[in-house]
Amino acid sequence: MPAEIVATERLGCWYREGCVLEDISFSVNAGDYVGIVGPNGSGKSTLVQALLGLVTIRSGSARLFGEPSDGFSQWSRIGYLPQSLHLKNPNFPATVAETVGLGLLSLKNFPRRLTRIDRELVDEILVSMGIYDIKTKLIGELSGGQQQRVLLARALVNNPELLILDEPTAALDPETRERFYQMIAEINRARGVTVMLVTHDTGVIGQHASKMLYLDKRLLFFGSFEDFCHSPEMSSLFGEHSQHLMCHRH
Amino acid sequence: MNLIEILSYGFIQRALLAGTLIAVLCSVLGVFLVLRRLSLIGDGLAHVTFGSTAIALAFKFYSAASLLVSLPVVLLASLGILKLTEKARLSGDAAIGIVSAFGISTGIMLASVGGGYNVDLLSYLFGNILSISREEVLIAVALFCVVMILLSLFFNDLLAITFNEELARVSGVRTGLINAVLVMLTALSVVLAMKLVGIMLISSLLILPAVSALQLARSFKACIALAALQGCCSVIAGIFVSFLTNLPTSATIVMINLLFFGGACLARRLRTPKNSN
Amino acid sequence: MRWVAIAGILTLAVFLLVGCSREKSEPTAKLQVVTTLFPLYDFSRIIGGDRAQVSMLLPPGMEPHSFEPKPNDIIRISKAGLFIYTSPYMEPWAATIIKGIDNQILRVVDAGQGIRYLITAPDSEEHDHGGHGRAMDPHVWLDFANAGLIVDSILSGFVVADPPGAVLYRNNANALKTRLADLDRRYREALATCATRVFLHGGHYTFGYLARRYGLEYHSLSGVSSESEPSAARMAAMVRQIRSSGVRHLFAEELLSPRLTETLASETGVSVLKLHGAHNLGREDFQRRVDFISLMDQNLINLKKGLACRQR
Repeated sequence: MPAEIVATERLGCWYREGCVLEDISFSVNAGDYVGIVGPNGSGKSTLVQALLGLVTIRSGSARLFGEPSDGFSQWSRIGYLPQSLHLKNPNFPATVAETVGLGLLSLKNFPRRLTRIDRELVDEILVSMGIYDIKTKLIGELSGGQQQRVLLARALVNNPELLILDEPTAALDPETRERFYQMIAEINRARGVTVMLVTHDTGVIGQHASKMLYLDKRLLFFGSFEDFCHSPEMSSLFGEHSQHLMCHRH
Repeated sequence: MNLIEILSYGFIQRALLAGTLIAVLCSVLGVFLVLRRLSLIGDGLAHVTFGSTAIALAFKFYSAASLLVSLPVVLLASLGILKLTEKARLSGDAAIGIVSAFGISTGIMLASVGGGYNVDLLSYLFGNILSISREEVLIAVALFCVVMILLSLFFNDLLAITFNEELARVSGVRTGLINAVLVMLTALSVVLAMKLVGIMLISSLLILPAVSALQLARSFKACIALAALQGCCSVIAGIFVSFLTNLPTSATIVMINLLFFGGACLARRLRTPKNSN
Repeated sequence: MRWVAIAGILTLAVFLLVGCSREKSEPTAKLQVVTTLFPLYDFSRIIGGDRAQVSMLLPPGMEPHSFEPKPNDIIRISKAGLFIYTSPYMEPWAATIIKGIDNQILRVVDAGQGIRYLITAPDSEEHDHGGHGRAMDPHVWLDFANAGLIVDSILSGFVVADPPGAVLYRNNANALKTRLADLDRRYREALATCATRVFLHGGHYTFGYLARRYGLEYHSLSGVSSESEPSAARMAAMVRQIRSSGVRHLFAEELLSPRLTETLASETGVSVLKLHGAHNLGREDFQRRVDFISLMDQNLINLKKGLACRQR
C-alpha cells in the first residue's frame, strides 16, 4: 500500500468574493501522476494553492504528508511551479543560478545560507535539465520556455517527493510543450516523484497522467485515466467524439 | 585648496564617515524596496516622523527624547504600510501615500492647534550632513552594524520574497516576518538617519543607487554591491565637489547620484544591442 | 430614516460649531486688530492699549515661511478692523489671504512702507559664485529707527480705523517711540566699547540691519532664505573666519535648530550665544507676554558678552 501524500476532506475555499471550491475529497498516493483538469474558473489553481496554504481553507481540511496544511512545515518535501511568474520587475536582477538556488532554502534553517555544496547541487540540476549554459543569464532575459525550465529546476533542486505544477505549459509553443511533458513524465517514472499537474490540455495530460481529477467548483471525477475515459459523466461533458480522441492513447 | 586641508576639518571627517555608512545602508535597503515597489517609503516614513515629532514636542520631549515617541510610531507606521498592501490589496505607493498623508496632517494639525511650540518644528526635524556630532557618528556606526547584520542574516529570505512571495512561502520562508523585518529596518534607518543627514538625502539614497544598479547588474549580489558602491562614492564625491564648487552638500550628492543613474542608463543602451545579437 | 437622522445630526453639528465660534468672537466695542509677525503684534498691543483687541496670526514657535492659515484665522481677519503685515518677503501668504477677504471695514497696513529694504551683501568669501545671491532682507525691525517707522505706520492705521481713539493711540505710540529711542541709545553706547567688531552668526542671514546700524561687521553662515543650505566650502570658510578673527563666541538664532552653529563652534572651540530674531516668540515667552524691547535687551546682553564689550 503506497503512502498517502495528499488528502482532502470536504474541502471548501473562497477566493476574493465568491465560493470557488466546495466539498472536495480525494487522496493522492506516492508515485501518482495526477492531472487536474476542468473548465476556466473551475478552481483548479485555487485547489493547489489551498493545499499549499496560499489560499485560506474555509471548510473541511487538507493534509500533506499526514500533516494539516495550515501549520505545515515540511516544505523541503515539496516542489512548486506557479501558474506564471509574476516578477514585480521584468528586469529583476537574479541570475538563473541564484533563482534555482532559492529552491534550496526549504532545506535550511535560520540563517539560510547557501554553501559550496549547494552551488554544486544547483549546477547538477542545471546540467540535468540542459540549461547549464544559461547559468549566469538574468532570469528576465530568458524566453518563456527557458524561464519555465529554470523554475522547474528550482522546484526540483531540493529533491522533492511531491511536485505541484500549475499550468506549466501555458506560455510554451507546442513543440516545447511536448518536451516539457516528457520531462515531467520522466521525473515521475524515474525518481518516483508524485506529480500533481493543473492543465487545460485534457488530451495531452491523458497520455501521461495515471489519475485524473476533473473539477468544476465541485469534484466531478477522480480516478484512473481508464475509468475517466469510460465514465458516462465525462462523455456527457466532452461529447463522445472528443472523449474518444482524448482516450485514444499511443 | 588641497586634500589634506579639506580633510583637516572635523565636520568633513564626520560627514565622510557617517555619510558613507548611511549611504551604504540606504542603498542596500533600497534595492529590496525598489524591487518590492516600496521606493517612496523613505518619504512616507519621514512624514510620519514629522507627525510623531510634533507629538513629542507637544509633550516637551526635545531632540533625543523625541526619538522615544517617533521611533515606535514610525515602526508601527511601517507595519501599517505593509498591512495596507496585504489586507486592503493596495499597491505599495497608495499605501505609502495614505500613511504619509496621515503623518503630515497630524504634524500640521498639532503644530497649529497645540498653541504653537517653543521652537520651529521643521528646523529641528532634519539634520544636515555637515553638522554631524561625534555622538551621532556613533549612532551611524551602530545603525550600520545592526542593519547590515540583520540584512546578511536574512539575505536569502529577503531575496526570495522579493523574487516571488508565493514561491518563498512554499520554500518555507516566513514571508510575514521577513516583510516586517525589511520595513522595520527601513523605518529605523529613516528615523535615525534623517536626524543626521536630512530627508532629501535619505529618500534619494533609498532610490537612486538601487535603480542605477538595476540598469547594470548581472546578478543580484552584483546589484547590491553596485548600489552600495554608488551610494558610497556619491557621498564622498558630493562632499568634495561641494567643497570645490561651493554648492550645498546634500543637493550636490543627490545630483551626483542622478549623474550616475544617467550614466548607467546610457551604459545599458550601449550594451543591449550587443547582447541581443 | 437613517439618512434623515444623519442629516439631522450634521445640521445640529453645524449649528453648534457656528454657535461656538459666534460665542468666542462676541463682538465688543474694541477695535479688532490682526497682525502677522511678533514686532507688529507687540507694537500694536502697546499702541492700542485698552481700546484694541490685538492678535497674532503665527502660532508661537513657527517660522513665518512655513505658516498656513486656518479657517479661524480667515474668520478673524474678516471680522477685524485692521490687518497689519510687513512685506511680501517675510509673509508671502499675507497678500493671498487679503485678496480672499470680503470685508469693507478692514484696513490693511503695510508696516514696511517707507522703509528702505537692504539687499543682503553676498559674503566676501563666496566670490559670488553659486552663493546665496542677492536677496531682500526682511528683518527690518532689527534696525530700531525702522522700528520707529513701523510704529508710525501702525499708528496711522489705528487712527484711520478708529478716529475717536486717536489721542490715546498717539500718546501710546509716542511713549513707545521714546522707549525705542532709549533702546537705540543703550545699544549705541554699549556696542561702542566692544573689543571686536566682528559679529559671526552660524545660521541664516538675520541681523544685517542691526549690525549696519551699530557699525558691526556681520557674517552669517547661509543666506536669507530659510531653504538655503550651506556648502562644505562655506562651512570651512566660516571656520577659517572664526579662527582668524579670534572671536570667542558664535551666535545662533532662537527658535531654530542650532545644529550647524554647534558644529562650527565645536570645530573651533568657541561657545554659542543665542540671539532673538523676534519675528516670532516661543510658546512660553508668548504666554509670559514677553515684549520686543525686553527681547532686544536680552540680545544686547549676549552681544556684549560675545563681542567682548567693556561696558558693564
